[in-house]
Amino acid sequence: NRVLFTASVAIRLALVAYGDYQDRTMAVKYTDIDYHVFTDAARFITKGESPYNRSTYRYTPLIAWLLTPNIYLNPMFGKLLFIICDVLSGLLMYRILCLRGLGSQAACRMCSLWLLNPLPIGVSSRGNAESILAALVLGTLLCMEGRRLVWAAMLYGLSVHMKIYPITYALPICLTLRTPDTGAGEEKERQTWRRLLGFIRSFLNQELLLFAGVAAGVFCGLTSFFYHMYGWEFLHETYLYHLTRRDIRHNFSPYFYMLYLTADSSWSLGLGLAAFLPQLILLLLVSWAFHLDLALCCFLHTAIFVSFNKVCTSQYFLWYLCLLPLVIPRLSLSPKQGMGLLALWFAGQGVWLGPAYFLEFEGYNTFLLIWLAGLLFLVINCFILIQIIAHYKPEQTAQRLKSD
Amino acid sequence: MYFLLFFTLACLSTCYCRTENDEKAESMCGLLRQSLTSTSVSVEIDKKGFHRDVVTTVEFSPDGPSDLQALVVHKWPRGIYVDPYQLASLSEHTDWQVLLDSAIDLEVPAHKTVGLVAFVFPALHGRIPRLLKVTVPVHGRYHEPSFDGKKFTSIDLDPPELLLRTGKCQLSYLDPHTIVDAPCTADNSSICQWARIQHKQGQASFQLPVGDGLLVIPVCSATLLVTLVCCVALAKTVWKHQLFTH
Repeated sequence: NRVLFTASVAIRLALVAYGDYQDRTMAVKYTDIDYHVFTDAARFITKGESPYNRSTYRYTPLIAWLLTPNIYLNPMFGKLLFIICDVLSGLLMYRILCLRGLGSQAACRMCSLWLLNPLPIGVSSRGNAESILAALVLGTLLCMEGRRLVWAAMLYGLSVHMKIYPITYALPICLTLRTPDTGAGEEKERQTWRRLLGFIRSFLNQELLLFAGVAAGVFCGLTSFFYHMYGWEFLHETYLYHLTRRDIRHNFSPYFYMLYLTADSSWSLGLGLAAFLPQLILLLLVSWAFHLDLALCCFLHTAIFVSFNKVCTSQYFLWYLCLLPLVIPRLSLSPKQGMGLLALWFAGQGVWLGPAYFLEFEGYNTFLLIWLAGLLFLVINCFILIQIIAHYKPEQTAQRLKSD
Repeated sequence: MYFLLFFTLACLSTCYCRTENDEKAESMCGLLRQSLTSTSVSVEIDKKGFHRDVVTTVEFSPDGPSDLQALVVHKWPRGIYVDPYQLASLSEHTDWQVLLDSAIDLEVPAHKTVGLVAFVFPALHGRIPRLLKVTVPVHGRYHEPSFDGKKFTSIDLDPPELLLRTGKCQLSYLDPHTIVDAPCTADNSSICQWARIQHKQGQASFQLPVGDGLLVIPVCSATLLVTLVCCVALAKTVWKHQLFTH
C-alpha cells in the first residue's frame, strides 16, 4: 500500500526532473504548451492584470491563481501540484473501493491501474491540469458514497466551475438522492398525471435540496466573484467558448470531417444539433438505468460524452480513465478479455494517429483516412462500453439506499 | 578691416567644414547606394506539412558601411501565421527579432482572417556577414474545403523587402522612390527612414491539403448513420442491463 504510493510519487518526480532537463537541452520540449499558458496567465495575475490577456487561456482564473507560486517561488510548482493531485486521486480511488466492499489488497491493485499508468503520469508531469479535476470528481464520489452531502456538493460545485462536463453528473446524483418509490403501485398507475406529479415530488426532499443548494451556491458564488473581477471575458473564455467551440481541425471526434466540410454552410447549425442528440439521449438513458451505482453511472456518462462529442482530444480520455478502476472490480471479464479490449482501444487511437501525422507533418491529403479512423474509433469505443455494461455484476446493495 | 578679414576667413572655414562633412556623408551614402544595388535577398521554404520554415537569405555586398542595419519585411498571405509565443521562446536562442503588425488568432481558418506583415530585425553586430540566413517558423491554417476536386491549395509567398539604413547617411541623398518608413527596432518605439534594395528574387510557394467539399453528402450521411447505429446499439444494451431496485 505505502510502497505503491511512494513509488508512484517517485516516478512522477523523476519525470518532472527529466522534463526540466529535456526542456533545457533538446529542441523537442517535454513540457506541454498548456503549462506555459498557465504560467503566462499567472504572470499576468502577479502584475494585477487579467489572466485572459494570455491568448488561448481558456480556463477558470482559479488555475492561474493556484499557479502564481510559479512566478514567486519556482516554475516547477505547478507540476508538483498536479502530481500531488494525481496521487491524491489514487488515494481517493482506494477509499472509494474500500467503501464499496473491496479488500485492501484488491483495492491497491485497482489503484495501481491509475498510479502506475503511463498516461496520467505523462499528462501530469507534462503540466496539464486534468489531475485537479480527477481529484475533485473522485472526491465528490467518495463523499456521496459516505453520504457526506455538504462536502460532496461543495466539491461538485467546484468541479463544475473548473470544467463543464461534470454537469452531466447532476442527473444521476439527483436520481440517487430522490425519495425512492415506496410501493403502492396500483394506485399510482390509475392516473398518469398523478404519477408524474409523484415523480416530480420525489425530487423535492431535504437531501436533494441541500445538495442542489450548496452546489449551486458554490458554483454561482465563484462565477459571480470572477465575473466581478474579470467581466465578460471570463464567462466567454471559461464556458461559452467550450460550449460553442467549432474547432474544425483534425481530432478524434467522428464528426470532425463533417463539421469541417459544412463549417460555413447553412446546414452547420442543424448538423450540430443532430450531433448533440445521440449524446443527450444516451446520457439520459444511462442516468436512469444506472443511477443506483453512481461510480458506474459517472464513468459511462463521461465515456459516452467524450466519444460522441464534436471535439475529442486525448486529454479528454483522462476524464473517464480516472473512474475506470472503480468499475473494474465488478466486471466479470477475464484478464485476457480485458487486455484485449485495452489493446483494441489503443489500436483505434493508433489507426487515427497515423494519417493525422501524415497530414500535419508530411502534408499528404489524408482527410478521408482520418475521418474513417474517427468513425472506427467511435465503433471501438461503443463496443468496449457495451462489453463493460454487459459484463457488469452489480452488488446486491440496491436496497441500501434509504436504509442507512 | 581686420574684422572684415576675420569674418571672411570664418565663413570660408565653416563652408570648408560643412563641405567636408557633406563629403563624408556623401561617401557613406555612396556606400549605402552601392549596397542597395549589389545586395540581394531570396526566400525558400523548408520542411513539409502544416509546419514550415521560411528561410530568408541575404547576400550583402562586401563594401557596405560598417554600421549597416538591415530589416526584412515579409508580407504573408492569410493562409499562414506565426506563433508569437514560439517566436518569443526562440528569440532566447537566436540573434534576430520579429515584430508583427497585428495580434494573431492562432486557431481561426484562413478565409476568416487577413494576412500579416512581419518585420524581421537580424542583429549584424557592426560586422556585415557575406551571407545572412534567418529561419522563421510558420504554420499553415486550415482552408475552406475545395469544391472543384483539388486536394491541395497553394500558398504563395512574395519575396520579402530588404531595407537598409546606416546612422551616418541622411537618406535624402538617395533616390526618393527607394525610401520607406518602417519601425527602427523590434520594440516599435519609433519610425525611421529606410532604403529599399532593388534586387528581389522570385516567389516561393507550397501546398496545403484541403478537404473535399464534393464529398459533403456522403460524409454527412455516413457519419450520422454510424453514430446512429452506435447510439442505438448502446441504448439497447443499457436498457437491457439496467439496475433495478427490488
